[in-house]
This record gives sequence, structure tokens and C-alpha cells, in this order.
Amino acid sequence: MSCEDIEPEVMEKIQDIVVFMCNECGQGSANTAGVARMAYNPAIRIVRVQCTGQVGPIQIMDALNNGADAVACVGCCLGACHFFNGNILSMHRIKLLKKVFKELGYSDQFVNQYTSRAAEGETAVGDFEDLVIRLSNAIREEGTIKDGC
Amino acid sequence: MDVRIFQFNGCNKCFNETILLNGESKYKIEFIEDPKNWKEMKTDVSVITGYLLPEDKDTLEKIKSNSKRVVGYGNCTTMGGIFALANQRGYEVSPLSSFIEETEKVNGCLGEIEELSVAINSEAAPKLQNLCAVCARETTCDYLESVHRQIELEDETTCFNDLGYLCNGFVAKECKERCIDYNAPCRGCKPIIDRSGIRMLGMFGTLMGNIEVATEHSELGATDKLADRDDDITDSLPDVLGNFFRFTLSTSGLPRGRIPSSGNILNDVFTGRLIEELPLISGLLGGNRSISLTLKIIETYETANSIEVSEQTKKYRKELLDLESQLQEAIKSKDPKQYKKITDEIRKIGGNMNLSNVYFGGFKAQIDDKDNFEDYKAHVFDVVEGTYKNGSVEFTIDPIGIVKEIKIKEG
Ligand code: SF4
Ligand code: SF4
Ligand code: SF4
Repeated sequence: MSCEDIEPEVMEKIQDIVVFMCNECGQGSANTAGVARMAYNPAIRIVRVQCTGQVGPIQIMDALNNGADAVACVGCCLGACHFFNGNILSMHRIKLLKKVFKELGYSDQFVNQYTSRAAEGETAVGDFEDLVIRLSNAIREEGTIKDGC
Repeated sequence: MDVRIFQFNGCNKCFNETILLNGESKYKIEFIEDPKNWKEMKTDVSVITGYLLPEDKDTLEKIKSNSKRVVGYGNCTTMGGIFALANQRGYEVSPLSSFIEETEKVNGCLGEIEELSVAINSEAAPKLQNLCAVCARETTCDYLESVHRQIELEDETTCFNDLGYLCNGFVAKECKERCIDYNAPCRGCKPIIDRSGIRMLGMFGTLMGNIEVATEHSELGATDKLADRDDDITDSLPDVLGNFFRFTLSTSGLPRGRIPSSGNILNDVFTGRLIEELPLISGLLGGNRSISLTLKIIETYETANSIEVSEQTKKYRKELLDLESQLQEAIKSKDPKQYKKITDEIRKIGGNMNLSNVYFGGFKAQIDDKDNFEDYKAHVFDVVEGTYKNGSVEFTIDPIGIVKEIKIKEG
């Protein structure tokens, strides 16, 4: 499946996906994608952060409570964090937050974590595509997060 | 000064605690147990206790328009408290501030009566430190290798969190009830910052840094992403809501739960919680029956699983039950001296009015210096799947110890 296969009525519900991208590989790969003129879904809204380790449940919930349809963090590859292990810590927190959503009866696809490689633009674009597809599946099955906020 | 104290829904422990103000000559106190049918009257201070639902709005507005000041007392009122856990199953337990403006609040489950006096008198509240600053345990905040749902009580100096045993002390204020002194981790009933639950979740997630998290490779050119399956992170905390948001779910900013309700709020509060946490919940919200409810749950499980308890444990439990019936009398007569005397004795055995010291198999901390603690020390127990039934309580737990269904006959 690719983004093109998503029905318009589901796509309509995907307006804003906030993606926190780290300043190193995350943002780097998005830049590389830009230089190569790779296209990606217009719902993706990138927020540049120093490291995904800076983004916690508070920032994620703020984004969701202020209208985001989903939130994701994109950091460096595992083992390649430019600081120490910010991407891993972010993964742990997001995993717990996913569980919170499940315990409340929601899909756990409203928050996600990815990695990317600065030299390869397709990794960022691949992350975005995966993100949109997973979100569309979640919306089809369980409704949007806004149904409960 | 005219003080009117209103009991709304659920647990009446905070309401009962206000009996302690009854003897003070500066107050003219009236206790109102049926606020809906209250005859309106001008009053200096109105104190609200118990949890609040949307249908209480009119009554609260009536109280507000008749009062110079309104004080919310206890977590149920100030932030939804423990009953707001039912919001996971669609209830709308809400904090006082969502109904009426300009209220003062005294957080805590149980709310502290000293703080209520300060609020009623409009005195400046004393500045309180973080709970960890006054805790006997010390923290290193090193990454954890594993998380534990129960621990043996050997180590008395290491922070519970360092032992892999979740404690919300990081986000709590110093308090009177001090669960941590009875080997019960703090659940954060007196938050020191806003959105304490979600912050603690972030903090504990960070502490879990060395624990395996499942990832998978993306097929769309991306590199790695979080896998959708359970892993050591999710397995070690089977009830994130109940442990991080025990008192703050309605003010946490999380969306309202969509899990189907059982139709009974008390049952909904307990469903989804963990067997080892049940006494720590029933001790809080059982009102003037919290001792018998807690012991009932514990003993039901003990009997079915042949967990042996010593004579000394039985003796202390019996004393607690006797104290509970004496307490009913003191509550009926609204006698502050009697109430104080009996609650002091309950605290001596139970640790605090939340019964933090009462547990499966015995007690968590030594009660009397003269005792041999080994006689009644609680130990780690096994989680056994099954349905447990004993008179007024019946509950079913799954293989990991999550309550799937519970029925508590009230009264
Ligand atoms: S549950 Fe806690 S806050 Fe609520 S009334 Fe009982 S003791 Fe007070
Ligand atoms: S987190 Fe808990 S155990 Fe650790 S220092 Fe703070 S209050 Fe004590
Ligand atoms: S130790 Fe107990 S009484 Fe004190 S803040 Fe924590 S949960 Fe509340």
C-alpha cells in the first residue's frame, strides 16, 4: 500500500501530523530529500529539535491537544545518536505513551518514533509515508483522536 | 465564621476528617450530606468534598453564589482524584474548577486537615518541599535494567525508583500520610507541579533506558521504527494509567477513555488495576469502610491461594476492624476528640488513613518497636489467575494480575 491508495474520506481527516525531527540525521535526511526534490505528504509539519531526547510526553500531548492528528519523532539510527542515547530514551517514552492510548481505548498509532539517515533522503520520506499509512489504518478502524479530545 | 461542609459523591473520608474542625470555637460548622436538597443560606466559607459529575453543576453554582469563598478539599474534588480513573471507561468525573471559578484547593487523598484550616482562615500556605527531599531513601537516577511490580523489603535506603519499583515521589510534595515510610511507593496524591502524571511518565520512561524496546525495520525506505508488539517496556508496566495517573486522570490532558463501562463507577475504578495495587486503592476510597473493604480483598485472595498469615497479623487486623467500628460511632456523634483518638490508633497500625502498611500476607513496616517484625512481615506473593469471591467482594484477575471484573456490594 502507498499513500495514493488511501481513500479521500480518510485522507481528509489527516491534516496535520507534527513530526519532531532531530537536528542531526532527522533534519539532515529531510534536507537531502529536499535537495533531491522528493515529494511527501503535505500533512507533515516538521518541527526541528536538537535531539528527539528533548521531546517528551508533555510536548507530544500539547501538539495533540492543539489540533495535531498524530505526532512522531524522527531521530538518528539506533546507536548513532549524536549526543548519547536521546533517540532510545525517546523511544521508551513513546512506547509508554502508546500504551496509555491503548489503555484509554484508542489506537496506539497516534504517536510513533522513527529513525533516518542524513545522507539518504528516502529514509525521511519513507518514514513520512509509513506514518501516513499507519495513521490512515488507525482512523479507518478506530476513528481519529479528536473523537475523544 | 460560618463554615458549611458539603459531601458530594463517593468516598466520605475527607468529609469525615473535617469533624476535627468541629470543636474549634472560631467556626460555626454545618455538615451537609445531601447538597442537592440544601436550603440555600449565605455562608462565609463552603468546603466541598467528594467527587463531582456534570449533574452536580447546578448545586455547585448554588453553593458558589451563596458563599464568600469556596474551598475544594481532597483530590476527588480538586482534581477528580481516584474516582477519575473511571474516566478510562467513559465517566466524566471532573475537578471543581471546571464547574465554578475562583476556588481554593487542598490536594491530597486524604486531604490534610491542617492545610484545610489554613485555607479556611485565608492564611498563607507554608511552602512545602519535594517529597524526595524528606524521604529516607536516596536516588541516583541510574538507568534501570528491569522494573518490578513487588519488591522484598530488605533495602531501606535506596530510592524505590532505583530498585525498579515505580514511585511518584519525584512529582509529589512532602505530605502527612507518607506512604513511603511504610514501604508503599508514593502515587503522587499531592502533586508539586501541574500535569504531574505525564511528567512522571516521561521521567520513568527515561529511567527505563536500559530496558529492551522492540523495533522493526520499515519497508518503505525508512530505517527503524517502534514495533507494534509488546516488549519489556510495556510488559513491565501492565497498568500505566493506574500507576501514573491514579489521582490526576481528569486533569492530565489525556483524552477521555473509550473502554466500555460496567455501569458502576466503583467497579470501573478497580477494573484494569493490578492485584498488588488493590489494597492501595481500597484503602483510599473506601470511606468509613475502607478497613473492612481492604481486608476483605486481601483475605479473599490469601485464603484462595493459601498465603499463610501469622497470629500477630491476625491480631493487628482484628484491632483495625474494631477501630473501624468505633470510628463509625465517633463519626455519628461528630466528636472530634474521639475521632482523633481512634484515627491516631488506626494510623499506628495501618501506617496512615490510606492503610499503606496493610498488605497481602502481613504488614509492610514494623508497627511497634517491641515486636519481632519477622512475625508479620509481608513478602512478595505470586500472581494467580482466577476468580475470587467472598461475600461482598468478587473479582477476577487474568494471568498477569490485571483485574478483569470486580463486583463490590456497597454498604
Ligand atoms: S478518595 Fe481520597 S480524596 Fe476522595 S474523599 Fe476519599 S480520602 Fe478524600
Ligand atoms: S522517588 Fe520515592 S523513594 Fe525515591 S526518593 Fe523520592 S519519595 Fe523517596
Ligand atoms: S506518599 Fe502517599 S500521601 Fe504522600 S504524596 Fe505520596 S501518595 Fe500522597
